[in-house]
Amino acid sequence: MLKKASFLIIFAAIWLTSCTKDPINDLTDPDSQVFITNHDKSIDFKQFKTFSIADSVVVVEDDRSGTALTDMDKQILSTVITKMQSLGYTYVAASKKPDVGLTVARITNNYLNVVSTPYSSYYGGYYGGYGYGYPSYYSYYQTSESYWSVSMLDLKNANTATKTLNVIWDAQIRGDGLGNTDYFSEMIDSIFGQSTYLKIN
Amino acid sequence: MKKLIIAAFLLAGFAPAFAQEQTPKLYTLPSPYDRYTTYLVTARLTSAIPIGSFKNDYIDKASFENYSISLEWVLQNSFSVGGEIGYSYFKQRLPRALYTSGDQTISAIQTRTVSQYPIQAFVNYHFLPKSSAIQPYVQISAGGSILDYTVYYGSLADQKQKIRPTYGVGVGSKFLFKKDGSFGADVRVKYAGTSFKYDYLTSGISSLNTSIGLFYRWW
Repeated sequence: MLKKASFLIIFAAIWLTSCTKDPINDLTDPDSQVFITNHDKSIDFKQFKTFSIADSVVVVEDDRSGTALTDMDKQILSTVITKMQSLGYTYVAASKKPDVGLTVARITNNYLNVVSTPYSSYYGGYYGGYGYGYPSYYSYYQTSESYWSVSMLDLKNANTATKTLNVIWDAQIRGDGLGNTDYFSEMIDSIFGQSTYLKIN
Repeated sequence: MKKLIIAAFLLAGFAPAFAQEQTPKLYTLPSPYDRYTTYLVTARLTSAIPIGSFKNDYIDKASFENYSISLEWVLQNSFSVGGEIGYSYFKQRLPRALYTSGDQTISAIQTRTVSQYPIQAFVNYHFLPKSSAIQPYVQISAGGSILDYTVYYGSLADQKQKIRPTYGVGVGSKFLFKKDGSFGADVRVKYAGTSFKYDYLTSGISSLNTSIGLFYRWW
């Protein structure tokens, strides 16, 4: 009797652990999006008047990078320009010594994940009570995440000694539906909207 | 038709004999549930209401996704001891909001979750004898909880998995469907606490759990 009871408990345990959940599978694409912004608190953005933007999008995938200018890229660049203008900045060509420079990047990271699947001893029993002499198996799966990154560089106060441009503001747009141009305006509004210190007018 | 009548007669003869076997009238022995240490298995469905700092700082939404199964040994005195394994799941979605930490601002829809697989040993003290149709009891329990704390910012997750001590105090009652029968219902109200500190959770996870269950007992 006791044996039967302990079987029940084991069975219940297996049944209980088998229901894994995905609590966010009901999120729509815009709802899944996360807007992360960082800025240099020592900077007073009121000192800047003009801006320029890199004329193509930086594409970074793992260790490789390049540039691209697809229709999608053009649209996100023009959305950023419009938004910067509405905040009071004047758009000038890169050759006109802009105060700040903006870059937009598409970043893709691929991760290789490993899971080990040890064979349970509960598989044993059928062939005369012997356990199975399996080693632990490893299976690999790859996940990849792409996101948009928008950075603002301080061109006005460039460090001439070390030849570095400080990133004074940067934003990441992560989540689902990031390639859908319908969401671009809302996405760009969000990253600038939550950075109220950028407004100079 | 004739065959049917014969069958009916046979059955009529057999049925009382069978019934007699079930309830021997020769001796008035106490029920086996009084005479032996017996086994009892209970499956429960639980509603859990968050309380304390768990409610104030993390999730205040009640959860109905809680299940458990317990096995107990009903001793010949007023006590029973046993083990219970369960599953509990809390989830709450918050509207889009800004979260600031240091120089960083995050705008996201937060989905807060906690899932637990508590495995506990318990002791029950029963106030009425086992022959009683209603058997109120008090319970204390302690054990470990396999815990998963995940906060989703949009589709990004901050996850922490741990095995932490868990404990509980409860009152409840068993209701037998039939005198000396094997099946019955179980109602229990229990305070459940798990000590866990991480991120939003500063002093553990506590909830008030009300469960209804079905039990089966045998010897």
